[in-house]
Amino acid sequence: MASTQESGTGQVQIRFTTKQEQYAVPDLPFAVPAGINSNELNVLLNELLKEGRSDITSVDFDFLVCGEFLRQPLNDLLEERNVSFEDVIDVEYVEQHPTPEPMDCLMHDDWVSAVHVRNGWILTGCYDNTLHIWSKTGTHHLTIPGHSGPVKAVAWVSLTPTVGSFVSVSHDQTAMLWKWNIEDNSVDCIHVCRGHERSLECVSVNHNSTLMATGGWDTLLKIWTTSMLDTSSAASHSTGDSDETEIKRAKVESNSKSHIKTPIMTLKGHKEAISSVVWTDNQELATSSWDHTLRLWDAELGGIKSEIAGNKSFFDMSHSSLNRTVITASADRHIRLYDLRSTEGSLVKSTFTSHSQWVQSVKWSTTDEHLFISGAHDSQVLLWDSRSPKAPLFNLEGHEDKVMCVDWSNPRYMVSGGADKTVRIFKSRHAPSKNGTEGEKEEL
Amino acid sequence: MVVKQTVNIDSCKALTRENMATNRAASKRKLEKVEQNGKNNALTAQNGAEESDEEDYLQTISDVDSSDQEGDQSGSDESEGELENIDEDNTEDSSDADSEEGENESDDGEEEDDSDVEEEDENEEENDSEDKSDLEWESDASSEDDAENLLKNVKKVTKTKVKSQDSTLATESNESASEEHLDPSKSINSKDSKDSNVQGTSKDEYESGDTSDEEDIRNTVGNIPMNWYDEYPHLGYDWDGKPIMKPKTGDTLDFFLKRMEDPNFFRTVKDPQTGQDVVLSDRDVELIKRLQSGQIPDAAFDDTAPWVEYFTSDVMKTPLRKFPEHKRSFLPSKSEAAKVSKYVHALKMGWMKTRSELAEEQRKKREKNFYMLWGADDNSVEEMRRIENHLPAPKRHLPGHAESYNPPAEYLLDKEELRQWKKCQETPWKRKIHFVPQKYKSLREVPSYPRYIRERFLRCLDLYMCPRALKMKLMIEPEDLVPKLPSPRDLQPFPTTMSMVYEGHTDMVRCITVDPKGQFMISGSDDLTIKVWEVSTGRCLRTINVGGVVRSVCWCPNQALSIVAVAADRKLLLINPGVGDSLVIAKTDLLLKEEPEDSSVIPERVKAAVQWEQAKDEEWASGIRVVINHFKEIKQVTWHGRGDYFATVMPEGIHRSVVIHQLSKRRSQVPFSRSKGLVQCVLFHPVQPMLFVATQRNIRVYDLLKQEMVKKLSTLSRWVSSMAIHPGGDNLLVGTYDRKMMWFDLDLSTSPYQTLRLHGTAVRGVAYHKRYPLFASGSDDRSVIVSHGMVYNDLLKNPLIVPLKRLQYHEPNNDFGIFDVIFHPTQPWVFSAGSDKTIRLYS
Repeated sequence: MASTQESGTGQVQIRFTTKQEQYAVPDLPFAVPAGINSNELNVLLNELLKEGRSDITSVDFDFLVCGEFLRQPLNDLLEERNVSFEDVIDVEYVEQHPTPEPMDCLMHDDWVSAVHVRNGWILTGCYDNTLHIWSKTGTHHLTIPGHSGPVKAVAWVSLTPTVGSFVSVSHDQTAMLWKWNIEDNSVDCIHVCRGHERSLECVSVNHNSTLMATGGWDTLLKIWTTSMLDTSSAASHSTGDSDETEIKRAKVESNSKSHIKTPIMTLKGHKEAISSVVWTDNQELATSSWDHTLRLWDAELGGIKSEIAGNKSFFDMSHSSLNRTVITASADRHIRLYDLRSTEGSLVKSTFTSHSQWVQSVKWSTTDEHLFISGAHDSQVLLWDSRSPKAPLFNLEGHEDKVMCVDWSNPRYMVSGGADKTVRIFKSRHAPSKNGTEGEKEEL
Repeated sequence: MVVKQTVNIDSCKALTRENMATNRAASKRKLEKVEQNGKNNALTAQNGAEESDEEDYLQTISDVDSSDQEGDQSGSDESEGELENIDEDNTEDSSDADSEEGENESDDGEEEDDSDVEEEDENEEENDSEDKSDLEWESDASSEDDAENLLKNVKKVTKTKVKSQDSTLATESNESASEEHLDPSKSINSKDSKDSNVQGTSKDEYESGDTSDEEDIRNTVGNIPMNWYDEYPHLGYDWDGKPIMKPKTGDTLDFFLKRMEDPNFFRTVKDPQTGQDVVLSDRDVELIKRLQSGQIPDAAFDDTAPWVEYFTSDVMKTPLRKFPEHKRSFLPSKSEAAKVSKYVHALKMGWMKTRSELAEEQRKKREKNFYMLWGADDNSVEEMRRIENHLPAPKRHLPGHAESYNPPAEYLLDKEELRQWKKCQETPWKRKIHFVPQKYKSLREVPSYPRYIRERFLRCLDLYMCPRALKMKLMIEPEDLVPKLPSPRDLQPFPTTMSMVYEGHTDMVRCITVDPKGQFMISGSDDLTIKVWEVSTGRCLRTINVGGVVRSVCWCPNQALSIVAVAADRKLLLINPGVGDSLVIAKTDLLLKEEPEDSSVIPERVKAAVQWEQAKDEEWASGIRVVINHFKEIKQVTWHGRGDYFATVMPEGIHRSVVIHQLSKRRSQVPFSRSKGLVQCVLFHPVQPMLFVATQRNIRVYDLLKQEMVKKLSTLSRWVSSMAIHPGGDNLLVGTYDRKMMWFDLDLSTSPYQTLRLHGTAVRGVAYHKRYPLFASGSDDRSVIVSHGMVYNDLLKNPLIVPLKRLQYHEPNNDFGIFDVIFHPTQPWVFSAGSDKTIRLYS
């Protein structure tokens, strides 16, 4: 009887801390029931805030206990973590991430297999061998045919208000480097990158946009330059029919006019298809492969730096320059967090499980070191906080079929494309940090 | 007569004297005398010889003796006739003596005897004083007096005897016999003791006080069982080495007569040494009588004399000895204690055994050993059982209220119940209670219970008949019977869940194949199309109409070619799917564009069955490159590992059901001239030039180089559906329509190493993984069962087979479930083609 009472009405002492100064409360321990949950804590905290300043409106907070979001009664978490009930427990609170708003749905003719956002422009690749450029408002600007196989990945190389360049890779074993003149809405295939022997799967442009790396089913990682100098002479004959209505189709005679580019480096090492490649640095590459490994390459020296073996084939990876860690999507329903720098101890730092099917794509936030999004075959796009491995923050609903690609390059927009032939854009209202403002500036 | 006797005695004396002197000359002289005096002297001489140990002398005597004997013999022969019936009991010697002096009167004989006795006495005397070198006449004289005394005694005895004897039978022989028994041990000295003078001496024997040396040693055979001489006429040998002849034994009549007539018969015994009868003296008889009656043999001993206690048990006041007892006499001896403990230890350890134990051992050794044939070896088991597994006696039924002398009213039987009870007279066991409850006012009024004895008896029977065995209940859990297998958790990775559905076909998907890289997959369906899929996304990349029900597709294993063999009804199509390496695609197209020059003549038999045909233009556009027309419906197509040869199966083709095609030469051949049955499927060995041909019940293994059958595997099932071979080539997996799956270890045996009945319905597809130790089977129950099938390099280790996972995701469409299963070439993923128009990927 006594014990049940204790567990039911037992009290724990907590102390609220925060890193957000505007929401600071006095540093006093409070005795709260052990079974308190985050909602009750939220009410308590709001009351505290209102005591100090009457002008503040109620804010929703998330509470971090022992580095993990409180998603269950406090005592359960404490028991799980083996924390003594007698100590004063530090409860950190952060303003709850605002709910992403569904913004737009971009309809395509076929499965969308690749998407990349730079500033306000959304570049998508389709299974009908075409590329599309959309504005952030959802207007279709350009349809770019050119590939002879499904486009598997796209990436912006550079973007200025007047001219943009991007790269696309496809099943037709080529990567194409395009130049897009925004003003007259014309696009040119500057280079066709030939060298891969089988379908290409991924492409990545390094941070200063000088190099790009591609990988595919021929297990080779190839590094190319993104320079378009050779082709400056080759005049772009594509006509930008701005007069035409919404859908504009660029006329590209790519094969005849574009120049063939060859890789500056070919890196051999993977045993099976390379599923994704990211630049972690200007001269450092990370790849994930179907052969169950992650590899770190030195692009300067052209060799493998380190290798991490997993249990399943990797489908995608994303590297965050903020926390220097890597999240991977593999042939199961888990998202795994790796730290490429550590080679000792358990390689998997954390596992995020909520998807019910293969996770096809993951992407870190560029502004928040804890946030990332993932898209999976269960037609779900989830927003995660790396401190909450059991439950995602939000489920970005909308897709009706397999999600094949997600992108969060622009911190304001979470973009995902899938087998339902749509690209869905969610607006992230949370942009507190500098990067976000920068991005906005860029966009503006 | 008396004078003569004295002379005799004198001569004897003289002889004796000479004897003692042991003078050779004297002996010679004596010899002369002996010759003069006759046998009597001779005998004495011999007596003397016995005493003295002079061989020479003895020799002479014996010579004389023998000569005498001869004379005696002749003499005796004459007289025998007269004396025969008189002295039967006598020995020959005595009879001889009798015969010589038979005519003499009894007195005379007596006198003779007396003298003999006397002489003997003298001898004895001399014996006593043997050590003395000189013998004096005085002593002799004294001995003479003694002898005379004795003589008188003997005379007296003999006279009384003679009186009692019958006059006719009172012969010397009788006398001699009577005297013989006086001393059985010294009855007769020699066979020629005509005068039997020695016999009288026995009396003196004990008097002289020396008996030990006086044993009868006439017989020299020693102390042996005399029955050794039973078969011989003699009884041993005397000192001269002459056999001592057995005395004559009379017949029963003689014996009877003797018993009737001889008053001494009762005291006559036989001397085993000499075989002669000895008549015991009165003293002997008395001695025997005393012994028999349990009295002390010595009549003179006074057993009632007062007891003189020399050492008393009373403690005397003053010690016998002056000094006190030493301390150690009070203490137990240490050395003895050590010895005792040593013995005790030895006894304990069994090194030493007590007499009783030894005796027991001996007894056991002597005894026959019996073994318990049917019983337990030792009873201890049964004894221990009584203690450990105690069998309680059956419990008695406890008395209830009905048994009470004053039961509650509801227990008393009413009329109906009583009638019911009585009705069961013949079948008492049907009654609810075996008695009629009755009510009494008080316990005092309860009458004696008539069934008491009966019930006691039944109780005893219960106890007696109670089964004495414990019923052992064997609890076997079904899990215990299953062999211990490793946990599936340890055998990862293997497909555990469905990951992808490939939707697009509009009819049942019958067959699937995956490209060697694992990027694409091709499926053939009843909707007359094949579809090319991207494995990782489930995207259908191409659809090719083939104009027939696709029953089998197979991707060419040669990675330098981009060809898929598709069996569509009666056509086999070689299709370039156009996915993968564009260079390879182009090369393949180039290769297949032109028909190679074929100079060889195709046999009619093959031509009738198979015709190669270049694809038409519209076909070419859709990817079809070569069409091979078959004369029957093709059920299966399979490639050889190199990618040049492929085989097609037409189950209805009878003798031409298997055709092997060569891509590079565009040639076909029919390897089997006679069908061994309805061919279901064929399979190339991954490394060796071998072909597996599965008919309905058996699988035949053919060597393609030698063109002969190597092995015949019997599946013991009704209908084989599919086959798969392990990439190592030594293990074969066979699925059958009768729900079984068989694993053949080709090195082990021609019968299945293991038969798996995992599916509830027909197994339609089986597959091995190329890299992982996995195999899978798909069946009509819409489930794919993934199993771990580890093949070890160690030839002694059998493959380990562990069913891992049942994957049932296909939706029911018709009676069919899964048609085909295939593994991804590199990943631990498995595909299944189902009748619900989908293909599913499990990872």
